[in-house]
Amino acid sequence: MRPLEYDALVIGGGIVGCTLALQLSHSGQRVLVIESEPDLLARASFVNQARVHQGYHYPRSLLTGMRSRINFNLFVGQYGDCIESSFDQYYAIGRYFSKITASQFKLFCSRIRAVLEPAPKSVKALFSSHWIEEVYRAKEYAFDAVKLKNRLRADLMSKQVQIKLNCEATKVEQFDLGLKVSCTTLGTNHEITAAQVFNCTYSQLNKILTASGLPIIPLKHEMTELALVEVPAPLRNAGITVMDGPFFSIMPFPARGLHTLSHVRYTPHHSWHDKPNETNRGAKRCVAQRYQSKYTHMIKDASRYVPLLEHCRYVESLWEVKTVLPRSEVDDSRPILIRSNHGLKNLTCILGAKIDNIYDVFNELQIAGPGERK
Amino acid sequence: MPVSDCFVSIVAPLFNDSVIVADFVTDVIQVLRQNYSNYELVLVDDGSDDNTTAILNELLGRYECVRVIRLSRRFGEEIAIFAGLDTVIGDFVVVMIPNWDPPSLIPELVQTARAGSEVVFGVSSAPRADTISIRVGAAIFDWYCRKVLRLSVPKNTTQFRVLSRQAVNAVITVKNVHRYLRILSADVGFAKASFNYQPINRGGPPKRHGTWEAITLATDIIITASTHPLRFASWLGVLASIINLLYASYVVATFFFKERVAEGWTTLSLQNALMFFFVFLIMIVTSEYIGHILVETLNRPIYYVLEEKNSSVLVADEDRRNIVKESNEQEPANLS
Repeated sequence: MRPLEYDALVIGGGIVGCTLALQLSHSGQRVLVIESEPDLLARASFVNQARVHQGYHYPRSLLTGMRSRINFNLFVGQYGDCIESSFDQYYAIGRYFSKITASQFKLFCSRIRAVLEPAPKSVKALFSSHWIEEVYRAKEYAFDAVKLKNRLRADLMSKQVQIKLNCEATKVEQFDLGLKVSCTTLGTNHEITAAQVFNCTYSQLNKILTASGLPIIPLKHEMTELALVEVPAPLRNAGITVMDGPFFSIMPFPARGLHTLSHVRYTPHHSWHDKPNETNRGAKRCVAQRYQSKYTHMIKDASRYVPLLEHCRYVESLWEVKTVLPRSEVDDSRPILIRSNHGLKNLTCILGAKIDNIYDVFNELQIAGPGERK
Repeated sequence: MPVSDCFVSIVAPLFNDSVIVADFVTDVIQVLRQNYSNYELVLVDDGSDDNTTAILNELLGRYECVRVIRLSRRFGEEIAIFAGLDTVIGDFVVVMIPNWDPPSLIPELVQTARAGSEVVFGVSSAPRADTISIRVGAAIFDWYCRKVLRLSVPKNTTQFRVLSRQAVNAVITVKNVHRYLRILSADVGFAKASFNYQPINRGGPPKRHGTWEAITLATDIIITASTHPLRFASWLGVLASIINLLYASYVVATFFFKERVAEGWTTLSLQNALMFFFVFLIMIVTSEYIGHILVETLNRPIYYVLEEKNSSVLVADEDRRNIVKESNEQEPANLS
């Protein structure tokens, strides 16, 4: 019997994969991370609003709000050096078409004990009082995806976790007492064996499962567009989120020194579900496909609420496939998915939703998190 | 800015239009694709109870930049249009009734609006054949609006119109329950232009006003637009008081100068009848206004949205470029 090369193989070098590999390495395991892109944190971990959630975003799901609050402190404590906290985050409540009112939002924030105070008059004046009922100042940070990538890579290396880039996993199968993963690295096929395999490939989760003849997980994918913009001076140091309906959000994007503009109505361009037999009408293919940018739509609508945004300078758009559980469509809850022994013994599939979800993953898998280690 | 740079939004109210909606959307999107790089089509489903919803869902998967707003029940065409106006983001907004208004005119109308008219409204050159009572009523209403209320609403105006962003912003700040776009868009000022056109008929279900409905609508429009009838009632009251006063002095004079005053039944009944006539007339007008004040002070949202859905289309760049290329050869004629 050939010995297994690794104790744990993590497929996917995003935030979930990297932090999971780190946690696994704490117990002295031999861990390998493989990533199909040329760099870590290159896909959905980079292309997102970079928001470190504090719960404000989920006024209709107390549980998600609560968990975000708790995990926020853990994340900020651990990765403080990758965080941009020197900006003001404003939450504005839409007067029409909003699913919550200002008083409901205030009540929700006090319930999850999140800081919320009325915005200064000078800031309120930037909003159209016709469309906006109330503006609050909140405490919310953004992470710098590049700094986070460098930090995680350094951490992984110091823990002797191995990283293989440009390496795409194509198939997982049983092998002796462990698992064997077939990979393609820059056109060369090879195999890696490990006792445990973690599938942290987000939008590609089902691709590997299908190729391995395993049952797929029902997932909903969305082709999303984030517009990178340079905002007018008075908003340089601010983030704005309009709640809670077909509205927009503008967040500092530290990795590029710009802001991301996203819109509930215009950011998702196209959605599809993974169904058996027609799995994953290719997340990859969709990225390659050029979509018509909707940044004009976003800016036009946003400037109805904040007239100043008319003077946004559009730089470019970031495109990525966003994957959610189908149940998230109907409510505000953003549960993470963890499927242990999925189809094969010791194969775990993980679908994260927000950056701070990593702590929920550790808890669920009963791997000592940074908080519990001491 | 070149034609393609302006953002055009289309608002169309729908009610049980399953027969025509697919044709309408196809036509509109074709015109929009050929003329503008940025556009949206907002369909407001005014509580349809046929299979309009199902057809709309299918269309959302076929065409890009389509939005459907489903109202929770039927609120009427006017409110449905306003629900659409509340969410559009375009520089120019075209309001269309799917069954009647020809999409091919969109570029021409938008061009007129861009040339400086903030409101461009359609006048039907082939008004629908109506019953005698509707025609007479319409004539009276028209005369009253023009001569007395000084509302400049040309005859046979339809909902088909283009509003600039400024005009839309002005119109949607009016939060009355009784809102009539035809009156409001004339009332907010701004430069206006009209155009004549021949309505098409896609063969959708007839949605004609009955006589009674027409009278209610006319009353609502007059009362919303003006306090003239109330003022009229006040003057009538003043007049009645003066007559009363004169009559009183006549009674006093009679008492002093006439010898036999026991008779007078005729005058008394005459006076009674006249006064009651005035009193009731005044009450009618006042009660109309009180009714309206009540509705306005309730301050309820004028409509409720059930859901909003957007296009979910896989857009291939190649397709788009081809379509844009075609349009270069058939650039819409400029209006000037």
